[in-house]
Amino acid sequence: MMASITAASLVLFFVSCACGVLLSALVDRKHSGDVVAIAGTLSSLFMMLASAAVLVTGRSFEATLWVLQGFGPFTLRLDALSSVFLFAAGMVYFSISLFVRDFIGDQFEATHPAHRYGVMYFGLMASVGLILAANDALLFLISWECMSILCFLLINYEPQQQTDRSAGYIMLAMSEAGFLAIVIAFLILGKAAPDFSFRALGLASGGLSNRGLWSVFLLGFLGFGVKAGLVPVNFWLPRSYTAAPSLFIPVFAGVTLNLGFYGILRLNGDLVHSAYGTGVFALIVGSLTALVGILYATTESDMKTMLAYSSVENAGIVVAGLGAFLIYRASGHPVASAIALTAALYHIFNHSIYKTLLFQGTAYVEAETGTRDMDQLGGLSRLLPGLSVIFLVASLAISAVPPFNGFVSEWMTLQALLRCAVLSSASIKIVFALCGAALALTAALAVTCFVKTYAMSFLGVRRGAWKPQLHTQAGTRFPLVFLAVVCLLLGILPAYVIPILNRAVEPLAEASATSSLVPPFFTANSSNQELPPAFLQDFHNLGAQSGRKVLPGRGLVILLRGSAENPVVFAMSPSYSFAALAIMLFIAWFVVTRLTRQRATARRELWAGGIPRLFPEMTYTATGFSNPVRVVFQAVFRPNITEDTRQTVAVHFRTAIRRRRDETPVVDRLFLRPIGQAMGGVARFLAGMHHGRLNAYVAYVLGFLLIILFLFRAA
Amino acid sequence: MVTSSSPIEKRARVELKDLIAAAGERFGTALSTSKSDKGYVLSLSVNQPGYLQSVCRFLFWDMGCPFGGIIAEEHPRHWHLYYVFLLPSAGWVEVTLQLPIETATIPSISSEVHAADWHEREVEDLFGLRFEGHPRLGDFILHDQVWHEGIEPMRKKFDADQPHLDRKPDVNWRPLLVVQDPGSFAMPVGPVYEGGLGEPLHFLLETVGEDVIRASPRLFYKYRAVEKIAEGKNISDVLLLAERFAATSAFAHSLAYCRAVEKIYAVEVPVRAAHLRVALCELERLRHHAGAIAAICESTALAVSAAHAAISEEELLRASCVFAGHRYLFGLNVPGGLMHDVEVNQCEGLFRAIDKAQAELHVLEDRLRYSSSFLDRLEDVGVVDGKQARDLNLVGPVGRASGLCCDLRKACPYSGYERYRFDVPYEREGDGYARLRVLFAEAFQSVTLVHQAIDALEPGPVCVPCEGTAPGAALGWVEAPRGTTLHWVSVDDKGTIERYRAITPSFNNWLGFHVAAENFAFQDFPIILATFGLSATECDR
Amino acid sequence: MSFWFGHGLRRGIQSTRYPPFAESAPGVSPGRPINTEFPSSGDASETAAICPVGAITANGRMAFVDDGICIQCQRCRFGVRSPMNWQSGYEWTELPPGQADYETLPAAFAKSLHVMVVDAGDCGACLHEVKQLNNPLYNMHRLGLFFTATPRAADLLLVVGPVSENMREPLLKTYEAMPGSKRIMAVGACAITGGVFGRSFMCAGGVGSILPVDLEVPGSPPPPLAVLHGLLVASGRKLAAKSELVSRRSA
Repeated sequence: MMASITAASLVLFFVSCACGVLLSALVDRKHSGDVVAIAGTLSSLFMMLASAAVLVTGRSFEATLWVLQGFGPFTLRLDALSSVFLFAAGMVYFSISLFVRDFIGDQFEATHPAHRYGVMYFGLMASVGLILAANDALLFLISWECMSILCFLLINYEPQQQTDRSAGYIMLAMSEAGFLAIVIAFLILGKAAPDFSFRALGLASGGLSNRGLWSVFLLGFLGFGVKAGLVPVNFWLPRSYTAAPSLFIPVFAGVTLNLGFYGILRLNGDLVHSAYGTGVFALIVGSLTALVGILYATTESDMKTMLAYSSVENAGIVVAGLGAFLIYRASGHPVASAIALTAALYHIFNHSIYKTLLFQGTAYVEAETGTRDMDQLGGLSRLLPGLSVIFLVASLAISAVPPFNGFVSEWMTLQALLRCAVLSSASIKIVFALCGAALALTAALAVTCFVKTYAMSFLGVRRGAWKPQLHTQAGTRFPLVFLAVVCLLLGILPAYVIPILNRAVEPLAEASATSSLVPPFFTANSSNQELPPAFLQDFHNLGAQSGRKVLPGRGLVILLRGSAENPVVFAMSPSYSFAALAIMLFIAWFVVTRLTRQRATARRELWAGGIPRLFPEMTYTATGFSNPVRVVFQAVFRPNITEDTRQTVAVHFRTAIRRRRDETPVVDRLFLRPIGQAMGGVARFLAGMHHGRLNAYVAYVLGFLLIILFLFRAA
Repeated sequence: MVTSSSPIEKRARVELKDLIAAAGERFGTALSTSKSDKGYVLSLSVNQPGYLQSVCRFLFWDMGCPFGGIIAEEHPRHWHLYYVFLLPSAGWVEVTLQLPIETATIPSISSEVHAADWHEREVEDLFGLRFEGHPRLGDFILHDQVWHEGIEPMRKKFDADQPHLDRKPDVNWRPLLVVQDPGSFAMPVGPVYEGGLGEPLHFLLETVGEDVIRASPRLFYKYRAVEKIAEGKNISDVLLLAERFAATSAFAHSLAYCRAVEKIYAVEVPVRAAHLRVALCELERLRHHAGAIAAICESTALAVSAAHAAISEEELLRASCVFAGHRYLFGLNVPGGLMHDVEVNQCEGLFRAIDKAQAELHVLEDRLRYSSSFLDRLEDVGVVDGKQARDLNLVGPVGRASGLCCDLRKACPYSGYERYRFDVPYEREGDGYARLRVLFAEAFQSVTLVHQAIDALEPGPVCVPCEGTAPGAALGWVEAPRGTTLHWVSVDDKGTIERYRAITPSFNNWLGFHVAAENFAFQDFPIILATFGLSATECDR
Repeated sequence: MSFWFGHGLRRGIQSTRYPPFAESAPGVSPGRPINTEFPSSGDASETAAICPVGAITANGRMAFVDDGICIQCQRCRFGVRSPMNWQSGYEWTELPPGQADYETLPAAFAKSLHVMVVDAGDCGACLHEVKQLNNPLYNMHRLGLFFTATPRAADLLLVVGPVSENMREPLLKTYEAMPGSKRIMAVGACAITGGVFGRSFMCAGGVGSILPVDLEVPGSPPPPLAVLHGLLVASGRKLAAKSELVSRRSA
């Protein structure tokens, strides 16, 4: 019955996507927002239903679409891994579809014909569903290519500026390069396979040589890494995110980014059991990505670009977790690999939620003020009080502050890295230590970044010369509140999320995350045989059995057991902590408001040293707040500061000092520029060869013939 | 380190006759030279206003004469402007310009002589004369948030005794920011800052977050219009004003004022009074420098050394009280000498006190040299190099630390300084540590001077009568603890003051602060302020 | 580093033993003139006439000094034939004329008074004397008196200077920014009556014309011990005694 629910939901999902495409193309401007909202909501609900059915029952869904002569069948398969990603995508789409309705008529009317965006929106949704459900390489690749092109169109359809157009082209070029790498990876894999179905490819991977394994891994990793936003192939990401229309960016950050992770997991986690070194490569690349991403995010004052770099940072954290997973699996530590993979999947899910929330908040802010530059914003908490609370929740979540969801996934990632104690090689442990340190630095910088973002945009006084513009209806707030509540729930109920994620983790890691991480409630006469009685008694005394009678599920504590001398490796319970926090806050509120004497409060003017008033130009700007980071990490940024002084009367009287800071992002400097210059050099050389003289061309043909003859001489 | 010739100017000393000859050759009839009995050795009168700039440039750059200041006087029919320069070998040179009273604009010389920048702004704010070519006039002394333009309080027709309530302050006033960097902002400091223990100054520290690119000070929160309320008062009342507008160098200011009055009435003070004046001047200098050293140590948070320097300063204040009757040496100078004499045991007490202070300062100087954390905060901080110092005509220990060795006690001696043996220390680096070293060295020189002065005392009167009936005007000058101080006094035939002008060293040296305070770390800001040791009250009057 | 520690210890305790004991070191206070009886009324009026600010009024053979106006120029001590009597000492704090009582701050402030100093145009001497309270010879911290950097944490506003017009608004803002129970103390002749600057278009002639003053510390400048006495009166540990030796003006 569940299988039929899944099938039905999938079918309905594709049908509603198709309806969405048609209606968006046909319906006029005024109703296009409603089309997107209704069709999009329906589609996303079906997405979530299908994936939930698979996750709850644990049974995957398979279907064959049709068979192509000579290539093999096109099959669909929704297993637990796909469902996790599908559910996340469904949530993101649900929120976007509701959010967009109030904005489409308003913001886009003058400049963009909104209905055509709907076409691409639903096309993208359908292709995402196909990618996640594909069970053979052909369907996968075809839908991947559709997804890339639709992403490109979403940016380049009606670009607002020249930079937007070039951003779209760079994204397209990188997507195609990545696609090429993926195709080659699948081809290498499929050389020995009868057809291109994932099952056949998985079986064939066992026969690959070490070199083959490495080339599949590298090509797949970097190919999917383009979409996932990894260093060194992520220089398209900040540009494209800044260029994309604000309303649809969550699709990029919450959905297509995850597709990169899905690809890496599917190829290197599922189909191919990678070699040991590949995990190290992934770990190092992930840590570097995270560090570079957060450095640029902290020093960026355009909100969209900052969030783009923050997505890069979170991608790095995820990939570092994935790298740890691969290493543990290859060296035979299933429990540790299960923990690492759980952490990575959890973080992927969390990131989709809070990044969507942040981007929607940014779109709101941009619609209200007309600017995204944090140096110009300020004082928004008085204009948009509800949004400021929600943005605060999202900032706390992304900064990994309990009780929100970012805390759980980052904590688990770092704990997974600490599990390197079980490995034997000392050099690997050093690598883990360094990467762990990089991730810890990243976490600290992330807090800086979002303190800056929230404080500079919402608190303080208005710095720029903008006027409030927006008059929104109440409907816009529901998706934001919904996601914020989800952030909180994911943060305080990890013990329920882990068993669900376990359905995807267990087949890949060959160990159960649930049994490793979530012990049952600690009752005195518990049936839990693995834990010694004294240990149980300690936890029982702490109250770790509360809620057993009322709540479903195994328990509320996340705990990893160690050896007899060290029974607890790590343990935490966000659920109980949240309950304790709520109780303490309530007590504090009660004491302060009810039990203490009310004192007279006087409100006076801000003290600013006696000047008539505090002008906005006297308050900290976002650039100023983050400048110390830029200075400390100067070696990474390498800014080129040119000072242009204008003087009126000889040297001593300055009327203006203008300084310009030219910076090239480090990835551009180290990868894009050299590659571009090399390509340019090659192109110039080749162009030099094409000078039009017939004699030379004949000589080329002759030379080429000689080379071929030489190469294929007697074998 | 201790010579009296400036290393910056490697030209030969210009003698007075050479100057007269060169001036006559260059400007011909546009300039007329004459002798002066008002404390100047030479008076150059510019007959055509168009030549003013070139004359000033000639004097400042070609002849190497440091700039003293601008004195503006309003007469019933004409304006009288004096531009004061110093010829190091000879004395003060005045360039006078007389313009009809209807004149509204004068060519500005601040493009040639940068040191005249603030002098011209002050004249514009107080008198209403516009200087053509000056880039920023207005909102200087009378702040635009409190007053409107055009009040011109120093005009004769303005009544200083009534509160001026009819004001239209500028409600749209915004601070003028210099740095135009995306993301730059200006941190406001003051006017009430440092717990109020700092003098009222307002700074805008323009920054992009790490380094402060530019610090723009805004002064004259303490402007009490001393020059205006002095008009119409008698000489002894204005003596009180002259003494008390800047109390930490009260004796020096009162000495300059008294010398100006003595010059008007051509009175020669007795020798005993001259010696005592030197002793008291140097006592004040020693006490001021001890306080400045304490302030520098305090700003770098080297608490023990700050405490010891502060103890020395307090003990010198007590010694001043015992020796002269008042801790800050108020009420000692009168035109014609000193108000009262001192006795032998008082002198011995003074010697004990200053020798003790000298010993303590020697220990401090010695040990501070080895405190690397202290030196780190002073070296290469707030640098003003020699060329900039020359450009902006910095005076006092600040100028001498940048290589400008001009000390009025040697350049144009007064009160018998030519009879003493002492050195004028200078440094070249122009950073905070150089200024500290100059303070120490000058303090030790002051100790020897006090000894010499007291040892040279002979019995005799300390005061002679100083009054007269003829109108007159004169310039009195003194090397105050902070630098060159000029007082210009003009009396009428009844003995009341017609014009009183005080050109103070702090007023001159604030321009140097602009140069020193560029591209510095925010935490160096109080250190740069402390090493400059400038006084807002002395500048504001 | 170790040198400074030893150097400080070697010096020993330097603080004055005031307030339990009087401070008698020479030079701690210049002293002030007090009401004097002269042999003849001619002497009295001659001496009274020498005062440039009119602080001395002669009535028969008595010459009365108003210490709120006296600027300690010492002309009535050295510049006349028959000088005024001179009182050394420093406990000079008084209530403003017309005010009967000083409402002390609550007892909690007695050992912990936070002072906000505002320089409203003074010559530098009063401010310098106030700053001397921080040095080891006076060491106000041992008495629980502190200078704060912000008026938000201040209990007492200590004003020096005749309140120049440009400083009027910052002074008022500072007063507004002080919370709760607060007192104002005017230190120095300029802050009490305007001193030599008096009342002009640029000077308000004392703090009393702008803000309600609770305590006055006369002198020009009052020595640090006088300011310290004033702070002790403000915190409630000493009483502002009405001195019989000088005569304050009427309101």
